[in-house]
Amino acid sequence: MTVLGTPAQTRTPEASDVTSNFNSSSSSTKGPAMNPVLAVTQLHLTRKRMTFGVPVLYVGVVAVLSILISLIAWRAGSQPGSTGWIVSSRSNPGLVWALGGFLGYMGVSSTATTFRFAITLGATRRAFTLGTLLWNLVIASYLAVVLTVLAALELATNHWFVGFYIFDIAILGNGNLPATFAIVLLGVLAMLTVAGVFGAAWIRFSNRGPILLGIGIGLVIVVAVLILVPQAAQIVAAFEPWWLAIAAGVAIIAASLGSWRLLRRAIIR
Amino acid sequence: MFTGTTPLFQQLATRLADDIVSGTYPEESAVPSATDLAVFFDLNPATASKGVNLLVEQGALYKKRGIGIFVAPGARELLLAQRRDRLRADFVEPLVREARLLGLRPAEIERLVRDTLAKEPS
Amino acid sequence: MTDHLVLDGVTRRFGSHTALDDVSFTLAAGSICGLLGRNGAGKTTLLSLIAGQDLPSAGTIHVNGHSPFEHAPTLAGINLVRDNQRYPDDFTVGNVLSIAPRFLPHWDADFAKRLVAGFRVPLNQSVKKFSRGQLSAVAIVLGLASRAPLTLMDEPYLGLDVNARRYFHEALVRDVAEHPRTVILSTHHVEESESLFDRVLIVDSGRILLNADIDEIPEIAFTVSGRDDAIRELTAGLDVLRLHTVPGLASATIRGSADDAFLVRAEAVGARIQGVSVADLVTAFGSESAAEAVAA
Repeated sequence: MTVLGTPAQTRTPEASDVTSNFNSSSSSTKGPAMNPVLAVTQLHLTRKRMTFGVPVLYVGVVAVLSILISLIAWRAGSQPGSTGWIVSSRSNPGLVWALGGFLGYMGVSSTATTFRFAITLGATRRAFTLGTLLWNLVIASYLAVVLTVLAALELATNHWFVGFYIFDIAILGNGNLPATFAIVLLGVLAMLTVAGVFGAAWIRFSNRGPILLGIGIGLVIVVAVLILVPQAAQIVAAFEPWWLAIAAGVAIIAASLGSWRLLRRAIIR
Repeated sequence: MFTGTTPLFQQLATRLADDIVSGTYPEESAVPSATDLAVFFDLNPATASKGVNLLVEQGALYKKRGIGIFVAPGARELLLAQRRDRLRADFVEPLVREARLLGLRPAEIERLVRDTLAKEPS
Repeated sequence: MTDHLVLDGVTRRFGSHTALDDVSFTLAAGSICGLLGRNGAGKTTLLSLIAGQDLPSAGTIHVNGHSPFEHAPTLAGINLVRDNQRYPDDFTVGNVLSIAPRFLPHWDADFAKRLVAGFRVPLNQSVKKFSRGQLSAVAIVLGLASRAPLTLMDEPYLGLDVNARRYFHEALVRDVAEHPRTVILSTHHVEESESLFDRVLIVDSGRILLNADIDEIPEIAFTVSGRDDAIRELTAGLDVLRLHTVPGLASATIRGSADDAFLVRAEAVGARIQGVSVADLVTAFGSESAAEAVAA
């Protein structure tokens, strides 16, 4: 006891203090620190490099690869600006595979690994679903802006002064900038939300969740193809690009509702 | 720090009382706050308050609102009187019981006490 | 005043395994309550349910009159970092400290920083690479700095070294004294934390076996030890929670308190009577159910 010096803190808590302080502190718990949905979005955004850096890195790698392929074609005799050159450059699907793969991974992992921590921080499952959707929208808008700006630069510099078609390509709308923006926005959002359902299925049913979901979606597609195969020729003939926009919109809505359905009563194990 | 099965708040009160009697905390001096006592001895804050309040109720400590807890005037004498009252029950009776168990006769017990007194410098 | 925490008939089954079996109890506000029991007794399940991280198979849970599951205002007042807490990929403690105030309305950023320094947790290293003790330290930082009116701590001692444990106790006791709130701390290391509690809940095999004020412990049970035949004779017909024997010697933990007649009988056969500590009670209740399970 003699070891104790002069007490620095002289206030003594009493039993009554305990209760009154408790009550006052619990009465100040009316609202979370910030809008819970935005808090979840910010939780995802904490991984800045993953959100903003890595996708652009993938775009950069695809651009470099496209340039290398163009150089090889050039050395092989194809002339920049020729019709053959433009058609083959514009049909390069590299961006879809590279970015698609990464976005798929990010969509699954961000839902799967962030959910537990969000719940620990007191987020509701509803706030988590909406906040994650908003975060997906942030990434989709960001990439849409980045790719639209790059495509605009490509057009403004007359295809980088040498005739390289890197962003003025078929899957980005062949240099139609509003189309580029819409394609990237809807494409990325669809990719992330669909991947998110698989993450949600994993949270809810662990390993068998994504497997069953994959089999289910596969079956629906097969059945749809079986039904539509006889009219395949007419469908292809009548095809309009906006059909894809509708399909993406349906996928985004279905995936978001699916995530909410799966997470609504998900528990932490 | 504290052991056994006596309630912890009583053990804390006993310890504070020991320190008042021994002069570690002179009368009118401040004793550590219940919070500091709780931190120092790994005690629940409510348990520490209860221990301090026990001595406040007995009149050995008093609280100055917003300042702290102090040793009351006459606290030492008060606690010493309490202990004198308990001397027989706490020490003499167990001594006699143990001595009987060992087969000592009353005269031998008396001699033991006298010898011990003679050896202890007063 | 209504009770802070009320559980009524709460059962939680995972497949064929019953983790919690018809649990009912209430807890008043402003307590440091020990949730004690052996590994696998149901402590983490119980805390998950209270924190709204899990749903009961049957029964109801109310915190300040609300079911916590998906109830945002109630969840804002509860904090539970589980012993197996997972963090987002590549998350650092710096990330944890920056995001916590967005969610936790009572968060104290300065206190969190002091705690991180006190536990010497690296700020910029991925939490994934942390040792068990460092993970426990991060959980304690979140739990204490959240200042949640209902703070649930799940096995906070796992992997903590002596210094960290000491630091944790000091921080907990001082902060709870200065900012009163309810803390439920689950542990199977009872001796280390016994003196911190003003209340104890003992769980075993999914059931609450004791919910008592710490000052009531001496009246709940006592032990009597001596020669085995004498102890068996002495304790016949009593509620023996645990009987510990080696050839020739026995020690029995008995529910209730020893009356005068018992004291006389015990003295006659040279048996020794002692009080029980919380740790003794946890051991006794744990072995009682174990014995039942073997018999069944």
